Amino acid sequence: MENSNSYSPYSSSSVDSTKPSPSESSVNLSLSLTFPSTSSQRETSQDWPPIKPRLRDTLKSLRLRLRQRGYNTALFVKVYMEGVPIGRKLDLSTFSGYKSLLENLSHMFDTSVICGTRDRKHHVLTYQDKDGDWMMVGDIPWDMFLETVRRLKITRPERC
Amino acid sequence: MNYFPDEVIEHIFDFIASHKDRNSISLVSKSWHKIERCSRKRVFIGNCYAINPERLIERFPSLRSLTLKGKPHFADFNLVPHEWGGFVHPWIVALAKARVGLEELRLKRMVVSDESLELLSRSFSSFKSLVLVSCEGFTTDGLASVAANCRHLRELDLQENEIDDHRGQWLNCFPESSTALTSLNFSCLKGETNLAALERLVARSPNLESLKVNRAVPLDALTRLMSCAPQLVDLGVGSYENEPDQESFMKLMAAIKKCTELRSLSGFSEVAPLCLTAFYPICQNLTSLNLSYAAEIQGNHLIRFIQFCKRLQRLWILDSIGDKGLEVVASTCKELQELRVFPSDLHDEEDNDTAVTEIGLVAISAGCPKLHSILYFCKQMTNAALITVAKNCPNFIRFRLCILEPNKPDHTTSQSLDEGFGAIVQACKGLRRLSVSGLLTDKVFLYIGMYAEQLEMLSIAFAGDTDKGMLYVLNGCKKMRKLEIRDSPFGNAALLADVDKYRTMRSLWMSSCEVTLGGCKRLARNAPWLNVEIINENENNDVMERNEEDEREKVDRLYLYRTVVGARKDAPPCVTIL
Repeated sequence: MENSNSYSPYSSSSVDSTKPSPSESSVNLSLSLTFPSTSSQRETSQDWPPIKPRLRDTLKSLRLRLRQRGYNTALFVKVYMEGVPIGRKLDLSTFSGYKSLLENLSHMFDTSVICGTRDRKHHVLTYQDKDGDWMMVGDIPWDMFLETVRRLKITRPERC
Repeated sequence: MNYFPDEVIEHIFDFIASHKDRNSISLVSKSWHKIERCSRKRVFIGNCYAINPERLIERFPSLRSLTLKGKPHFADFNLVPHEWGGFVHPWIVALAKARVGLEELRLKRMVVSDESLELLSRSFSSFKSLVLVSCEGFTTDGLASVAANCRHLRELDLQENEIDDHRGQWLNCFPESSTALTSLNFSCLKGETNLAALERLVARSPNLESLKVNRAVPLDALTRLMSCAPQLVDLGVGSYENEPDQESFMKLMAAIKKCTELRSLSGFSEVAPLCLTAFYPICQNLTSLNLSYAAEIQGNHLIRFIQFCKRLQRLWILDSIGDKGLEVVASTCKELQELRVFPSDLHDEEDNDTAVTEIGLVAISAGCPKLHSILYFCKQMTNAALITVAKNCPNFIRFRLCILEPNKPDHTTSQSLDEGFGAIVQACKGLRRLSVSGLLTDKVFLYIGMYAEQLEMLSIAFAGDTDKGMLYVLNGCKKMRKLEIRDSPFGNAALLADVDKYRTMRSLWMSSCEVTLGGCKRLARNAPWLNVEIINENENNDVMERNEEDEREKVDRLYLYRTVVGARKDAPPCVTIL
């Protein structure tokens, strides 16, 4: 529902909004959507659409249950490379485990991404869990990870 | 000068219940002010930081019922840190110390601790009613002390709270002598429930009218509960994923049939379709139905159920009901007053044709003449539809539309939705609450400022082009009380244009907008009667140093509110009060 990596496709003409113009084309570039520099600093979980936690959890559990029963439901999370404001979106349900996730990320961001311990050379993958905390990817079983992951961040080398 | 003795005037005032009216009475004369305040039993405080408990008690010594609200509305959507504030403890301490004869406490978005609940339960011997909505910070231990110590407890209503569940022994804490319960709602508890204790409690509460259990109450237990409480008016059921066997089903249906007073049904965190059919016998009596957590049930089952609910006034449902389902609602539920349609698919991965669109909204507006409140989540909307809705339903009091994709235009014309919302505010002269979404320019706010004369609460997300938008609203809406804005390009010019406007409002929220620290500081200097709070959850909290550079830094989240008691002392490190 949320296009984190697209600009509004409408031409940004400057419009005098006090003059009614029936054929006026839409305007809003809404950069705040695509530049998450404020939202990635915020240690909170998802805030759009505006639904209460109980419904959000209900829907998340539903999707997981459907997945477990073999339905094809996607599990899109945002992925950011530290220092790069524009993120990507990734469907975690297409991966069988951590290995295929890392392979895909390394390919997507054109660098080597690893799990686990600090390494001065490689980018390390971290994730934000449902409590809002940032954690190292790889410590918990894959299925449990899918249930708790909210977003991914690839940290610069020697940062964690 | 009074022509009647004070007692007579006081007696007359007893008939005046509304807070607004009582506030007006107290302004008439000193004498009326005194009589009013000494006889006032119910007080509503929309922002717990606008006043402090000591001043409240001083003014209203006969207080019996207190309603308090804490965190701002957007806290419901994870935009406010948990530790922000809204602690009820100081209030309970003060009320206890002053020996106020508190009977009723209603809290919304406040932090409640077990210690607070314990103190509450021991301090007010006539305490009757506790209602907690969207609160957090307590466990079932706190509930246990309320159950054990509040001898005259009639109502314990827990709605959507974050409660640490230490497993269901708290139900055991209601003494055997406790038979006065009229309302018990623990649907938000996540853990196991002591079913035996619950059944005993319900059996000895002949006045119980409202019972809402949590998901851990299985079907056979529900059947037993309903059997010993056929007088129930309001029922919230648990989670019934599996189809019941024939015998269980028959027993359930028999118990349901006896509940001839049942008017309101909710719960159903999961419900197998067959389970739902067991409730058919009482459908025609229902005035309120909440199926908004039944995420797995498909539209056709919902439709079949609703076809029997001819007296429905309030319906909360998921968008899986589809436009077809809403057309059925429109033709069946002629008494419908309030409709909420929630999203069931947040990720839009499939080309999901079954969710609701503008067609369903138009159908409802055409079929339900008494509709006055709507909350509608959908993936697409058109101006034409909104214009039709406005024509069909000029009686809206609350109109909240949330198009899931931010900035989405009219999908048939690619234009903004300014005209559609403009039609709504122009036609609905009594509109008090509005939420807008989709692609919107400053023009929609021009319309809102011009026409929405009764508007008290406005929610804006991803809308507008320039400061003019926000200014139209601030200048035009004379009755505005709560304005909440996120991800919109409004900045200092709009924020600072009319500082006195904030005297007439309860609060303003702005997040991910264009206001800067400098602008907020200037506002705080010009309005010492405002608390201007900056919320910043940075990894390095020492960013909030005062130097030249920072003045231009954009503020992540701003929350300001009028207050008579100055800056609060309980703010956490991530909140700076200017």
